[in-house]
Amino acid sequence: MTLAPTAQEQCTAAYSCGPVKLSLTFDKGSLQKALDGLLNQYDAPWAAPTTEVCVAIEHGLPPAHIPEPAGAYLHSYRLHVDRRGTHLVSFSNVGVWMDFDEAAKQARIIVPCHSDRETVVEEVEQQLVLLLARAWAGQGWTPLHAGSLIPPGGTDCVLVCAPSGVGKTTLISALLCQGWRTLGDDKVLLRKENGSIVARALSRRIHLHPTLANWFPEIGEIEKWPRYSRWTEKRMVKMEAIWPGQLMGSAIPAGLVRLTRTENGPALEVEPFDSIRTLHTLLSQIVIPADTADARPLISCAAAMAGRLRAALVTVGNNAFANTSTAGRLEEALRGLLP
Amino acid sequence: MHLQTDNHRWMLRPDVVSTVLNDGAVILDLRSKFFFSANPTGWAIAQMFETGATRAEVHDACRKWGAADAGIPEIDALIDQMISEGLVESVNTPASATNGVTVAAWVSPAFSKHREPLQRIMVSAFDPGLPLAE
Repeated sequence: MTLAPTAQEQCTAAYSCGPVKLSLTFDKGSLQKALDGLLNQYDAPWAAPTTEVCVAIEHGLPPAHIPEPAGAYLHSYRLHVDRRGTHLVSFSNVGVWMDFDEAAKQARIIVPCHSDRETVVEEVEQQLVLLLARAWAGQGWTPLHAGSLIPPGGTDCVLVCAPSGVGKTTLISALLCQGWRTLGDDKVLLRKENGSIVARALSRRIHLHPTLANWFPEIGEIEKWPRYSRWTEKRMVKMEAIWPGQLMGSAIPAGLVRLTRTENGPALEVEPFDSIRTLHTLLSQIVIPADTADARPLISCAAAMAGRLRAALVTVGNNAFANTSTAGRLEEALRGLLP
Repeated sequence: MHLQTDNHRWMLRPDVVSTVLNDGAVILDLRSKFFFSANPTGWAIAQMFETGATRAEVHDACRKWGAADAGIPEIDALIDQMISEGLVESVNTPASATNGVTVAAWVSPAFSKHREPLQRIMVSAFDPGLPLAE
């Protein structure tokens, strides 16, 4: 990230977020500081960004003459997004408004005066996540909400798919402790390249819950790291600090795990998947907007992968990693998904 | 209207997206967020609706692909399902040239709806999961 003051309170900042460079102009520097944590997390090593998006972030009221989006394009917990020509218009719960012209690669975010400052910042973050997701897709990348694991010495990876809170990070931590490597615990970019699909890392950070140290003592004391958000105890930890040399830049997806958790079942169960269930799993981890032109390349990427991946449903017991043999059994199961 | 005697020309809705897999295809309805999987024969029938087709035209094509007359009811059942799920809409366009669909070996068409739709409201533009209370 580079930062430069422009006027008394104004500042500009530039962030490399994978293949996209974000150039931001703020009318108030305090907002830049609040967003720094989000934008610095996309810090995985890439060659020079292939595109730049310029974003002006200013305080005020959204334009009165533009109708509020209904969420026809995308409806998230915090955003309603509509497509209007080349523009994505997005409005958040507390009134953070964004107009992103994808063709011009320019966006304007208007931040309201609101007493709930933390929520305002979170909703500006959500607008920037939307902008980045579309900018990455515009460069041919499919954002996948999944972790990944690469065996020692290998170049193929297993994608680890599950909704938030099921245990992707725990499973990945268990294998990192066994010497496996990763592209990250919950975000990866995918793209067809030379007849294959390549997965790329986005972040050098991993989101660890302090209690994981009970199972994996090598994690050590992580309370000193910043919290991921005010809604979770998870800490945003630099991978290198705990598992040096185990963050990879890219890998070829060859396997997929759909992870579920059980309270009373056995510690570990593995059940093979067919390509239809694999595709369903992939589509469940990709944000697919309700716009045919934007949806088609994302679905096409998922389908191209689904036919190639060896996949399994992996069910992990709640306290499975208290038993040190579970990681070894898991490792064996994951190796069975790779060529 | 009895669906099986209609003379309408049906076409896939513009926000229905299909994608081919090794052993058939998956069709995703971006409006309802449900998706459907089809075997190669079911996919061949569905493809006829990409350019628009009547029920009779589908019957004729299926016979050319090897379907027996006794198999027509299951073809109609598939078309009925696509109509009732809203995947196709009635259009007034004239007959268009065949879209070159072929079937290597005729088998009973299969077309099934997946139980779990994709999330309509999601956590964020990167995380399509179900939002949990914060």
